[in-house]
Amino acid sequence: MSWLRISLAAIAVTVALPVSAQTVTITTAGGDYGNAVKTAMWAPAAKELGYDVREETQSDGLAALKMQVTSGAVSTDIIHLGSPEGAQAAAQSLLEPLDYKIIDPKSVPDGAKSDYCYPFDSYGTVMSWNTKTYGENPPKTWAEFWDVAKFPGRRALRANAQDLIEIALLSEGVAPADVYPVLSTPDGLARAIKRLEAIKPNVSVWWTSGAQSAQLLKDGEADLLVTWNGRAQTVKADGGAADYTFKGSVIGTDCLGVPKGAPNKEAAMKLIAAMTQPARVAKLTDFIAYGPVNPAAYEGGLIPEDRLKTLATAPENAGTSVFSNADWWVKNGEAAQKAFDEMMNR
Amino acid sequence: MTVLADPALAADARRERRFFLSLSLPALFIVGLAAILPIAWIIRQSFLTTGGEYTVGNYEKVLSSGLTWSALVTTLELSLGTLAICILLGTPLALALASARPRVANLLMAFVMLPLWTSILVRTYGWLVLLRREGLINAALTGSGLTAEPLPLVYNFTGTLIGMVHYMLPLFLLPVYAAMRDIDANLVRASASMGATLGQTIRTVILPLSAGGIVSGSLIVFIYTIGFFITPAVLGGGKVNPLSIRIERTLSTFQDWGSASVLGILLLVLMALIGVMFLAARRLLARNKFGAAHA
Repeated sequence: MSWLRISLAAIAVTVALPVSAQTVTITTAGGDYGNAVKTAMWAPAAKELGYDVREETQSDGLAALKMQVTSGAVSTDIIHLGSPEGAQAAAQSLLEPLDYKIIDPKSVPDGAKSDYCYPFDSYGTVMSWNTKTYGENPPKTWAEFWDVAKFPGRRALRANAQDLIEIALLSEGVAPADVYPVLSTPDGLARAIKRLEAIKPNVSVWWTSGAQSAQLLKDGEADLLVTWNGRAQTVKADGGAADYTFKGSVIGTDCLGVPKGAPNKEAAMKLIAAMTQPARVAKLTDFIAYGPVNPAAYEGGLIPEDRLKTLATAPENAGTSVFSNADWWVKNGEAAQKAFDEMMNR
Repeated sequence: MTVLADPALAADARRERRFFLSLSLPALFIVGLAAILPIAWIIRQSFLTTGGEYTVGNYEKVLSSGLTWSALVTTLELSLGTLAICILLGTPLALALASARPRVANLLMAFVMLPLWTSILVRTYGWLVLLRREGLINAALTGSGLTAEPLPLVYNFTGTLIGMVHYMLPLFLLPVYAAMRDIDANLVRASASMGATLGQTIRTVILPLSAGGIVSGSLIVFIYTIGFFITPAVLGGGKVNPLSIRIERTLSTFQDWGSASVLGILLLVLMALIGVMFLAARRLLARNKFGAAHA
């Protein structure tokens, strides 16, 4: 009799086990950034919730998301996107609405709020330079970045209109607060593109991935770059002859979304809520210099004082910056990229 | 053609043919699955809007865009440039290999084949290390005083061409080498014994007899290079944008699958056209050879 009971219990356990472990699949950007997000954020959150989390990596999240949703084969539950892509994905109905009953709505400042893609960290698109070329006297403003007579040297820019057209206007003396109003005027975009065309002969590389921009900076292939602060900081910290400034940076955020038709929707919302707790997004800065969006992460000394200086959103760095406007990009992104491609082609 | 008088024999022959045909079914199935279906899917995709309705708008958009045509020109420039350099470098090399003693030829062949077995990504990044501003070649040039400033060898058209030639040269060499090795050595001796100089022998005996190999090699170079993506993406520095890169950008930046499909079809049509051109060239060559033999 007891034998039967034991064997029945054993069968019950083996049957119940795979069911009880909730699996969630998360798609990240991979590389150092993906590892940082894993170690600081989702791995400890998964442990806390008892989830079995699987990771997929994608350098182009939006294209992957669109393919999964339109082909009806959604394999990922959470996807890491840039906020403009997040807004674009929402506009194309590729994302489930976020469940703000599970996720704390007060954890996002009003300006950054999104119904579809939860912003969790922020970065600056910054000016970076080779310290061997410019020594103690690097360019200090975007106007000087464009001044090839005063600051000769090879430039490297991203082969994408994003952030660059904002920077182009800043270089002409447009105030940070006026960048999007100017871009929204009929010839605003043309003005920015014309400015990029002016610097084009001095651009030796148009880079396509963040890792490539870091390599160009490290190797001294380019003297003056537009890159992301996390990449520049990593090169600098590794002892590369590089420095950068947050003056005039364009601040963007990255976000987490749940693909439309995701297999484990509710678990995905719970994991997003857990992995973006203040202590966890603060911990992310241990690995990469991308600052939390949640204001609570800056309280209680979660982030050491000296590291605050390396974050784009630190109060002392934010004054001259432009916040990338996801809505503008959803409306005008295609026109801007097309104008950019045509400029590259001339 | 022998006529089979016995009906039983004829039936046997038919059965045999059917059996041999059936042997090719698995291969045909795989080709159908891996090549025909995706192409059919791309063709369908090229006629769909993002909302899923049928349209010819994608074709209008892509074919009326200057970006498409300049990408096409870049594609052809890269392919023709690679081909020209492969012919100039590869033909003498094949001649040297074909006329070397077997042991030397085998050793040289190993050197030629070694890069072929290395991943294209590794080779492309290898060139980056060699060609960049503070790379090996520029360090040697400026160090020895040959040039005052480092030369712009990479992140441009030159660098892309170097990477592509490096990839294609062994593939061009193989058919040319095979054709040259098959030339009857007696013909070369005969031409020499009749007083032809080395140059005359090469021009009038070796080159005409290996023309078929050169055409085959050229076809391989063309078909491969027309769809090259990694090399221009890594070594082109964003300034060299052939059709393959245009397709990638249309997908990743614009998420416009319809237009990307049209570009893919354009690439396919281009390949088919080139294939037909080369087949015609080969037929012409074969006819000339036949005619010459009877002259």
